[in-house]
Amino acid sequence: MSVLRIEDLCTHYFLGEDQVQAVDNVTFDIAESEIFGLAGESGCGKTTAAYSIMRILPENGAIVNGRIFLDDEDVVVKTEEEMRQLRWRKVSIVFQYAMNAFNPVLRIGNQIVEVMLEKQSIDKEEATKKAKELFDEVGLEPERIRDYPHEFSGGMRQRAIIAQALAAEPRLIIADEPVTALDVIVQNKILGLLKSLQKKYQLAVLLITHDLSVVAENSDRVGIMYAGNLVEVGTTVNVFKESLHPYTYKLIGAFPSVKGPKRRLEFIPGTPPDLIRPPSGCRFHPRCPWAQDICNLEVPEYREYEKNHWVACHFAGEINFEVEP
Amino acid sequence: MTVSTPIIEVQNLKKWFPIRTGIRSFFGEQRWVKAVDGIDFDVKSGDSLVIAGESGSGKTTLVRTMLRLIEPTAGSVNFEGEPVFTMLPDDLRLFRRRVQLIFQNPFEVLDPRHTVKDLVGEGLVVHELVSDEEELMKRVLNALEDVRLIPAEDFSRRFPHELSGGQLQRVAIARSLILDPKLVIADEPVSMLDASIRTEIMNLMTDLQKEHNLTYIFITHDLAQARYIGNWLIIMYLGKVMEMGPMEDILQDPIHPYTQALISHIPIPDPTEERHRIDIPGETPTPIDLPPGCRFRPRCQAIDEYCTDDEPELQQIGPNRWVACHGWEARKKKKQKLRHSSER
Ligand SMILES: Nc1ncnc2c1ncn2[C@@H]1O[C@H](COP(=O)(O)OP(=O)(O)OP(=O)(O)O)[C@@H](O)[C@H]1O
Ligand SMILES: Nc1ncnc2c1ncn2[C@@H]1O[C@H](COP(=O)(O)OP(=O)(O)O)[C@@H](O)[C@H]1O
Ligand code: SF4
Ligand code: SF4
Ligand SMILES: [Mg+2]
Ligand SMILES: [Mg+2]
Repeated sequence: MSVLRIEDLCTHYFLGEDQVQAVDNVTFDIAESEIFGLAGESGCGKTTAAYSIMRILPENGAIVNGRIFLDDEDVVVKTEEEMRQLRWRKVSIVFQYAMNAFNPVLRIGNQIVEVMLEKQSIDKEEATKKAKELFDEVGLEPERIRDYPHEFSGGMRQRAIIAQALAAEPRLIIADEPVTALDVIVQNKILGLLKSLQKKYQLAVLLITHDLSVVAENSDRVGIMYAGNLVEVGTTVNVFKESLHPYTYKLIGAFPSVKGPKRRLEFIPGTPPDLIRPPSGCRFHPRCPWAQDICNLEVPEYREYEKNHWVACHFAGEINFEVEP
Repeated sequence: MTVSTPIIEVQNLKKWFPIRTGIRSFFGEQRWVKAVDGIDFDVKSGDSLVIAGESGSGKTTLVRTMLRLIEPTAGSVNFEGEPVFTMLPDDLRLFRRRVQLIFQNPFEVLDPRHTVKDLVGEGLVVHELVSDEEELMKRVLNALEDVRLIPAEDFSRRFPHELSGGQLQRVAIARSLILDPKLVIADEPVSMLDASIRTEIMNLMTDLQKEHNLTYIFITHDLAQARYIGNWLIIMYLGKVMEMGPMEDILQDPIHPYTQALISHIPIPDPTEERHRIDIPGETPTPIDLPPGCRFRPRCQAIDEYCTDDEPELQQIGPNRWVACHGWEARKKKKQKLRHSSER
């Protein structure tokens, strides 16, 4: 059974008269013990999708359509009070900027203990003991729960955040660019930690990043977003090795690798569209080398092209990516 | 190989920052952050050198010291044969024109109140390289076309907030190019940009290098990126060079244990690729009170009897390869022996 199931999610931001269609008709699910990687260029709506699940959108943002199930509860219809009960216990988030996640004037340990006291029926002593255990679990010395955030390096802070995210034993962890600011060696240590915890606690993980290498190496399944749409979803190997969507193919081609033959990298001409007035039909059509007349007229249906491999392109499976018209 | 003279030579360069402690340590001795701790290399005209290393390895400090933006602690830098640290103001001005710096975050260097035309033309005005407005405009439009900001007229009138991150970085590049530099030093020029735009800028810089006969020094911690822009590589750790040589040679056959580990950790956008990661315990320390001997020793997995308390010097071990490790030869022999016995 899925821990997270999103159906036709549309989340918009309201700017005066305008609406930014940041997430548009997004559907996917994540099972227990599964890492789902969500990738795409900056501004394509990854963080907005994550904030929608947590229901922590900024004031001008709102879910305008769709449903989000955590286990079998639809979070879209929950009141703020009900949401407060679900956050941390059902789902917690590891943010992009580890720097800002903790209050700088409070001891890290106390901040984690606070979360536990609020979400679980345990006393302070017990919570402190548990916080120490969590520190140990994420590879930090238990004594350091008395430290302040600035006494930690970037990697240590990211570990502490993971400890905090685990504090109320959630089912789903959302990690939004959890390693983007870190050096590769630290990055791998944090990702390794995340994976071992995920196995141990059968967590579902939504791993959000623009780094395709990180997605390739760490996810079971992958979703590729473009301009607010989910354009392709499948197993990591299928999405990378048998891409169906032109954008997926192009994005991978633009990504450098230290392995394999060195070739000139391809970039995708043009820029991602303005989401206030996104292109008609397929949002990728102004940049797609294989676009045909129908592409600017009709929105391509998001469909299961082959088992467990979803795509939103009129010509999925018919395009020879080696040849550009 | 063509014989070309180095455009820039760096010799035993050091930059130590004093640690300001409230109370001087017990014996009153000054302690230091040895951000750059004795670096030698040179760059030949037309080359593209990548200096790679983790955060805090001293890359930015190295560049700032080379350009005399901060005072060196020791060592020398020669630009086209001229010692930079003793240059008089006139020569220094010329040096600062011939060597251009591009930063990670274009938002920080480009004043938001100025138009693209003013930003790109600023250097020409400051260095008094144009006689009138017409010539200035012509040069600006040329530079914008060089970095493919077309139509140039249109872009010249815009303000920074009316440009995307990639376009802004092109403006920063145009602003440097217009001064007709010999050497361009770029400190993480694309790390703030998205993959696709990043690739676009890297391709552009590769093309510009050929078109304008530029020599590049790129600073980065991303070796995957480095590979596409550089033909020469330096790996730094705690203020020192660990390994130096041709880019592909090092990536295919790294010799220093730190380089080997670093490369093994770089993620690859291919889920079917098998990875064997070499562990590096702990985190990069701050370069204060370094242990005797090799500075990588506390984290090295290849440590052996050969690791004495002497600091390993950067030594040439092949026609084009340099490495600072006591054990490279012993490990090479061992590897050959293993290969022999498995062949038999
Ligand atoms: N003004 C300063 N005073 C004291 N220490 C400094 C100063 N500037 C840099 N350092 C220290 O020198 C070392 C090297 O710093 P530097 O900024 O050169 O590294 P870097 O390789 O550019 O790192 P990054 O990849 O994070 O940009 C670090 O330990 C840093 O904290
Ligand atoms: N508070 C906001 N008000 C208006 N637009 C916003 C707001 N937050 C994000 N956006 C816009 O929504 C789109 C998606 O943003 P985001 O979800 O942050 O993307 P990602 O995480 O993929 O980089 C972008 O066009 C962005 O500019
Ligand atoms: S629907 Fe058309 S424009 Fe969109 S990706 Fe497919 S071919 Fe390209
Ligand atoms: S000198 Fe010794 S400790 Fe240093 S890198 Fe070589 S093997 Fe490792
Ligand atoms: Mg984001
Ligand atoms: Mg730096």
